[in-house]
Amino acid sequence: MSTVSWITARGLFGRRRFLMLLPLPLVLVALAVLCRSLGVDPGQWGPPVLVGLGLAVVLPVVALIVGTGVLGAEIDDGTVVHILTKPLPRWQIVLPKLAVAVGVSAATVAVPLYVAGVLADSVRLGLALAAASALGALAYSALFLALSLVTRRPVLLGLVYVLIWEGLLGNFVSGTKVLSIQQWVIALADRMAPTELLSTTVSVPVAGVLTALVSVGFTVLAIDRLRSFSVAGETS
Amino acid sequence: MSEPTGVIHDIGYQRYTGPRLGRRHVFGALYLHGLRTVFGLGRTAKAKIFPWLVVGIVTLVAAGITAVRSQIGEVVMTYAQFADSMSWLVIFFVAVAAPELVSRDLRSGVLPLYFSRPLPRDDYPLAKLLALVSAIWLLLGGPQLVMFLGAAFTTDKGMSGVWDELLDLLPGLLYAGLWAAVFASIGLLVASLTGKRAFAAGGIVAVFLMTTPIVGTLSILPSRTINELAFLASPSTLVGGVGTWALGDLLVPEGRGGGVPIGDFGPVYGVAAVLLVAACVALLLLRYRKVAAR
Repeated sequence: MSTVSWITARGLFGRRRFLMLLPLPLVLVALAVLCRSLGVDPGQWGPPVLVGLGLAVVLPVVALIVGTGVLGAEIDDGTVVHILTKPLPRWQIVLPKLAVAVGVSAATVAVPLYVAGVLADSVRLGLALAAASALGALAYSALFLALSLVTRRPVLLGLVYVLIWEGLLGNFVSGTKVLSIQQWVIALADRMAPTELLSTTVSVPVAGVLTALVSVGFTVLAIDRLRSFSVAGETS
Repeated sequence: MSEPTGVIHDIGYQRYTGPRLGRRHVFGALYLHGLRTVFGLGRTAKAKIFPWLVVGIVTLVAAGITAVRSQIGEVVMTYAQFADSMSWLVIFFVAVAAPELVSRDLRSGVLPLYFSRPLPRDDYPLAKLLALVSAIWLLLGGPQLVMFLGAAFTTDKGMSGVWDELLDLLPGLLYAGLWAAVFASIGLLVASLTGKRAFAAGGIVAVFLMTTPIVGTLSILPSRTINELAFLASPSTLVGGVGTWALGDLLVPEGRGGGVPIGDFGPVYGVAAVLLVAACVALLLLRYRKVAAR
C-alpha cells in the first residue's frame, strides 16, 4: 500500500463526517429485510429498493461524496501542494487515490446490494448486483475524480449529472439513458443474472464498452489535468 | 523613575451622534443580502451559474406548458402539479443555495463579527431561513405567474375566465409556499452542520433523495394504514399529502387523477408538516446557540 493511498484513506476515515455515509446502505438493507419479513412479493419491492434506492441514489451519492473527497478535499484546503511537490509521477498520485475511492464506494454499496439482492431473488442476483455496482463505482469515481480537477465546484457539477441528467432527463428523454452510468450498471447486472426485477433499454455491449471507456478516459483526463495544475484560493 | 511625559492630543476625531438603526434594520439587511446571495447577485459570474441554471430550466418548462396550452388548448399541468414535477430541481436549488448562505460564514469564521452587532442570536439563522424560503417561493412562484399570464391572455371567456384562472393560481402559490417552508428548513439545518460547502450540498441531496424510495417501498407493504401513512416518510410527498388534504380540489381538479392517496389521515399530514418545520427551526436555533458561544 503506497503512502499516497495511505494518506487518502486516513483523510477519508479520520473524520467524523465519514459516518454520514453509513445511514445510506443501512436504510437499503433495513428496507429489504422489512419487505422480506412481511412477505411482500419481490416483483413489487425489488425495483424501488434495488434500482430506485440502491442503484439510483446510494451508488451515485456515495461515489460522489467519496470520489470528490479523495482529491477535492486536499485541493480545497491547499494541502495538495505537499503531494504535488514530491518527486512522484502524476499517475502515481491519481491511481492510488482512484483505487481508494473505488474501494471505499464499492464496499459501501456492494455489500448492502448483495444482501438486498439475495433477499429479493437469489445469491446469483446478489453477486451480479455487487459486481455491477463495483464496476459502476469505478466509472462514477473516475468521473468525479476528474471533475474535481477540471472545475472548482465538483460536487455541484456532479449533482447536476446525477440529479438532472440521470434523474430528470432520464425519465423524460429516453435517449439520454445511453449516456447514463446508472443504466449501464442495470444492464450489466441484468446480463449477469437475468430476472424480471431489472430492466433497461441500453444494450449490454454498449454498456460494457462505455463503462470501460468512461473509467479509462476520465482517469487519463485526471492525470493530464494534474500535470498542469494551478493552485488557487476558494472560488467566490 | 521619572513621571511619564506622554501627552494624548485631541486631533479632532468625533463620536457618531447620528441615528442608529436598530435590530429591525440589521435583520432586514441580513435578509436582503441572503436573498441576493442565493441568486448570486452582486457576485461573480461563477456564483450565478448554478442558481440561474435552475431558474432557466424551470422558466423554460413553464413557457413550454403555456405555449402548449395556448396553441392546443390542453392543460398539461395545473399549478400544483407544476410544483410537484419540479421537485428534483428544487432539491438541487436548495443544495446550491443553503451551503452558500450558512456554510461560508461558518468556514471563514465571521460569525463573531455578526454577533457583536445589536443582533440577537436567533435573528441570524431566522433571517437566513427567511431568505431561503423567499428564494424557493420565487423559484416556484415566478413560473406559475408566467403560466397564469399565458392562460389569462389566451382565455376566451373574458374577465370571468381571468378571474377563474386567478382563483386557480392563488392556491398554487400557497402550495409553493408550503414547499418552500419545508425544503428550506431541512436544507438550512443540514447545511449549518458543516462549514464545507461540498459536504453540505452532498448531505442535503442525500437526505432528500434517500427518503423518496422509502415512500415507494412503504406504500406497497400489505397494510392499508401503512400505505396511507407512507407519504410521511419523504419531505416532497409530505408536502403533497398536506396539499391534497388542505387545498384538495383547488390543487387538482376533479377527474385528473392527481393528488396523493392519503385516505383519512389528512390532519396527521398537516400536523406532521408543522412539527417537521418547527423541529428543524428549533434545531437550527439550538445549533446557532452553540456556534455563537464558541
